[in-house]
Amino acid sequence: MVSNQTELIMLGVMKILKEKGSFLLNNKKIIPFLILIVLTGLPIIQFFGNYNYLIHIVLFSFLYITMSSSWNIIGGYGGFISLGHNVFFGIGAYFSGFIFVRYGISPFITALIAGLVAALFGFVVGFITLRVKGPSYIISSIALLMIFRILFDRWELIGGTHGMTLPHNTFPVEWSKIPHYYALLLLMVLSIYLSWYIRHSKFGLALRSISHDEIKSAVTGINVKIIKVTAYALSAYFIGAAGAIWGDYLTYVRPNIFFIILIAANMVLMCILGGKGTVTGPIIGTIVMIFFNEFILAYFGATELNIFFTGFLMIITLMYFPEGIVGSLKKRKLLPGFLDWG
Amino acid sequence: MLKINNATKSFAGIVAVDNCSFAIKQGTISALIGPNGAGKTTLFNCISRIYPIDSGQIFYKNHRLDLMPAHKIARLGIGRSFQITRTLDQLSVTENLALHTAGGIGSHLFHPGITTENRLKACEVMEFLGISTLADVDMGTLSFGQKKLLDLGTVLMADPDLILLDEPAAGINLRLLEDIINKLVTLKNQGKTILLIEHNMDLVMGISDEVIVMSAGIIIAQGKPSEIQKNAKVLEAYLGSKA
Repeated sequence: MVSNQTELIMLGVMKILKEKGSFLLNNKKIIPFLILIVLTGLPIIQFFGNYNYLIHIVLFSFLYITMSSSWNIIGGYGGFISLGHNVFFGIGAYFSGFIFVRYGISPFITALIAGLVAALFGFVVGFITLRVKGPSYIISSIALLMIFRILFDRWELIGGTHGMTLPHNTFPVEWSKIPHYYALLLLMVLSIYLSWYIRHSKFGLALRSISHDEIKSAVTGINVKIIKVTAYALSAYFIGAAGAIWGDYLTYVRPNIFFIILIAANMVLMCILGGKGTVTGPIIGTIVMIFFNEFILAYFGATELNIFFTGFLMIITLMYFPEGIVGSLKKRKLLPGFLDWG
Repeated sequence: MLKINNATKSFAGIVAVDNCSFAIKQGTISALIGPNGAGKTTLFNCISRIYPIDSGQIFYKNHRLDLMPAHKIARLGIGRSFQITRTLDQLSVTENLALHTAGGIGSHLFHPGITTENRLKACEVMEFLGISTLADVDMGTLSFGQKKLLDLGTVLMADPDLILLDEPAAGINLRLLEDIINKLVTLKNQGKTILLIEHNMDLVMGISDEVIVMSAGIIIAQGKPSEIQKNAKVLEAYLGSKA
């Protein structure tokens, strides 16, 4: 009798959990909101010890989520695979770094202006390079990166190949990363919001249409050129702002840190892994890739095996999930609602 | 309404449209016919400025179409369909339709992808075409005939004054074709102007007020359907000359 009752209660509890669980998983707002609260409160752990490594990994994820979500605007929605997008990262870092070194104004104040500079620059570059599509565009974007590498290597005013060393903040060691943590958290939230907003706007619809057929888009009344150049500039904005914060975090800006293709390649791979053209794809892709990378590093040390395994992960993804994790799950209708933002 | 003066377009030495001139009046249905490769579609592409013309002028009301970018021509109220359908396969049917009421960059940035107005209009268009059940389906999963219909649908979405249709009847079943013909006549009665390319002669002779015949890039005849049917040059172009 007693065991029967317990069984009934257990069944009831499980039923409620199942219902509530699926409600939680399919609600678009609750889980992201909880995650945001946890991330906002995470630095509290520094009161209980020195968790700098954890803080570093999380803020490093913020940085790359900001960048891959931004890249997704032009690369995912617009279909222009840019392998030179870290040019804007470098421009942001150098702009804010230069002002910090010369005039003592902190990058935390100038980061949003650095984003504007990057966006303005993106607008000009977009007008020139977005004429071509497909492989030709990819090559032109790499060329842009190479031009910038050479330019910044030779530019004496900003330190040439040595770059610039920025003053370090004077906080105790366990708190010195916290300003960057919150700045990048804010940039990440804003960039995801921008990506979500564009995905659901007429602008985003036009952009997706352009990615498939420019002629068709033009005869429907879409100003193809302006839309793609604007998208390019918008995608440069948060990358530039994140560059400013990252420069301050590293305390030095140097061409061989900011103008290397690896950073752009990471953005692209993260988007493809998560599902380019979806809002949550770049987020998932970034998290998977960064944690996978750290896991391999922890197990095999700095043997560069992590690069081998990253490549392996990419091959598996492209073979079995050609539309990325989020894209493929969505296609099979297995994507939980809290990840389905369009 | 639409006036073409000495338009010429050549591709690497091959003259596709050779010194063509004609005009069509408001509120009429005109058909552009001719054998395959006559340059009909190229002429359409010149009107909607997919290609720039080499010489000549194209007027619409008081605007020079040949000096305008394609998106401005669309916003003037000229809608067109394509012979080989150009539908955006990764987008849903409703999204494909919603695209066609686009304004400037400002309105793009500050409006949702599919506005309520778009959705209502799209429902109306889909209902007319008998494909209401497909609203949320991806365009890529549709058959050729359905895509062809939606291509016409996208033109109707924008409610243009001048409608250019490139072979609207190809691949469409007869029952639906009748509906489409009726719709075209209704549009004409509302004051819309229609220019269509078509190989289905029953359709052409049945509804056109005027027929323009092209062959090898040249306009060889223009007139009422009954006149065209007797025109010696036209018969020669279609059936070959007597030995």
